[in-house]
Amino acid sequence: MAGTLVELTPEQIAAFAADEPSWLFGRRLAALGRVSELPLRQSKQTPLETAPFLAPDLAQAPSVTAGDVPAGVELVDLRTAIQEGQLAVQQHLGRLFTEGESRLQALHLATFAGGAFCRVGRGVELKEPLQLTVELESGALYAPHLLVVLEEGARADLIVELRGGAGAEAAVRGAVEIVLGDNAALNYTEFQRVPGRTQTYWPRRAELGRDAKLHWILADVGARLAVADTRTYLRGSGAEARVLASFFGGRRQHFDFNHVMVHEGQHTTSDIEARGVLQGRARAVYNANSVIRKSAKGASGWQHEHTLMLSDEARADLIPELEISEWEVSAGHAASAGPVDPMQVYYMESRGISPVESRRLIVAGFLASLLQDIPLASVRERIADIFQEKVEL
Amino acid sequence: MARPELIIQGLRVGVEGREIVKGLDLTVRGGEVHAIMGPNGTGKSTMASALMGHPSYEVLGGTATLDGQDILAMSVDERARAGLFLAMQYPAEISGVSNANFLRTALNARRAENDPVPVMQFHRDLKAKMESLQIDQSFAERYVNEGFSGGEKKRNEILQMAVLRPRIAVLDEIDSGLDIDAVKLVASGVSQMLSEDLGVLIITHYQRILNYINPTNVHVMMQGRIVRSGGPELAMELEARGYEWLRQELGIDEPITEEA
Repeated sequence: MAGTLVELTPEQIAAFAADEPSWLFGRRLAALGRVSELPLRQSKQTPLETAPFLAPDLAQAPSVTAGDVPAGVELVDLRTAIQEGQLAVQQHLGRLFTEGESRLQALHLATFAGGAFCRVGRGVELKEPLQLTVELESGALYAPHLLVVLEEGARADLIVELRGGAGAEAAVRGAVEIVLGDNAALNYTEFQRVPGRTQTYWPRRAELGRDAKLHWILADVGARLAVADTRTYLRGSGAEARVLASFFGGRRQHFDFNHVMVHEGQHTTSDIEARGVLQGRARAVYNANSVIRKSAKGASGWQHEHTLMLSDEARADLIPELEISEWEVSAGHAASAGPVDPMQVYYMESRGISPVESRRLIVAGFLASLLQDIPLASVRERIADIFQEKVEL
Repeated sequence: MARPELIIQGLRVGVEGREIVKGLDLTVRGGEVHAIMGPNGTGKSTMASALMGHPSYEVLGGTATLDGQDILAMSVDERARAGLFLAMQYPAEISGVSNANFLRTALNARRAENDPVPVMQFHRDLKAKMESLQIDQSFAERYVNEGFSGGEKKRNEILQMAVLRPRIAVLDEIDSGLDIDAVKLVASGVSQMLSEDLGVLIITHYQRILNYINPTNVHVMMQGRIVRSGGPELAMELEARGYEWLRQELGIDEPITEEA
């Protein structure tokens, strides 16, 4: 697969980026130069595929549609934002991916095509959530980049949906980048529902200023292979970040998720809550790490990961970690994976509830404690519904 | 519909390769209240669990029919939908699932998919039934049996029975661990439901619940079989004299083992 990388030349990049400003072309070339030096950084348990290392076709940018956009907010296609010369784009695009960059991420920065840019202006507080849909079509490699910037004191909900037409056999090598200014607050919700033959490589990065707050609300149910590495840098003091991650894999789906909280500012708090359900022969590799740097006095970082196994053939590897370089902090983790309690199923069936409905109820109950922490009712209901539909007979 | 009828013939049940119920015959019809009494370890609860289809119990022989249908050939949920109900001694806890949601799902399982019970009507009925069992209204939104006291769990079983309206209800030690007030409450809840359309089988160690639900038939079970049957006077006699006289009269000298 390394061969496909070598074949990607600066000329191809230039063709790619024909109508882009020179600063961006320079960045793309620099990223391409790093590709061959960088490590893969992929878990051993996850199969290495060729598709994400190919070059995307610019014409194959996924269609990105935004819902209504109120005053003080920009939500546009990334190409448009670049052409308009948005300063925030030049300032932030790709910046959060330079730390701990992997070969795939450098390749993404060299060749991303399409995506979206969202900016919520200083002090703008949105009442209604912003909506963004990334739609795949069949048989291509997509490389969208989502850049979200909330300026100081801005508050917003953003709901992103990744989906595609039935039968799409695409690969997605995208990225999400979120920058929160001081005292900004964002609930970022993402529904990953791409078709069952798609592969997704979807790293997410966020940087939080002083007293900023971020909720990552993630629901992964689609894809044959979904690899997502979510890193949050709590830079400003008092910043708070929370991951509320849910995933449901079936058949032979393979998930590889990594959640990392990096505490740099003092009195920063983070919490990773993940609830996964596996049925069929699905497999989940789940890593989490709370990193507390030397500067982060008074930080607190917690993790709770639980996986419910609906079949004997499903498999979960949960690997929680803590990396603490400061005194006076609080941190800890709890992780578990276990089968459905047969006595619960018996009890439900003894009331006339069918085996599949019993499992649906157990899945709903298993999710309840995660869902109750999700601020938007519509998002709670949607995740609950998606999970109910996925329970197989 | 005709009166309910549960007919058990020659039922043999094993647990982990050991035969516990060794040929049990019993018929329960609508309008009847049968009590099965007996010392620990005689197979009373094993019989009840096997009738419901508990996965740890193996039926080794015999038949059981409900309204002429072979229930032993059915899955657990089919037995329930055929009209069998078991109030369990140790009901499971289901975190994250409210009692109301659980019961509504159970009711809808008995109805056509396109004809679910109207939500408002369901809540009205549930509220009324909770009131009659002196159950606090907050019960509906609490998670199934999670954090319930022993008495609350038993009352919840009876509430489920009231909502689901079975044809044959087996109450497995619904009185054990309860104080006398709680026993009265549970017994009056069951008594309110008695009719020609319901047959009840009460399994108990103690005679005292029978002071509040009048049995039509009383059976004594020992060593996996019914060894004596009679009317309410048999329960009184057991209360007064214990089981030892019966054991001697029947020539049963094996030690009675504790129930697992």
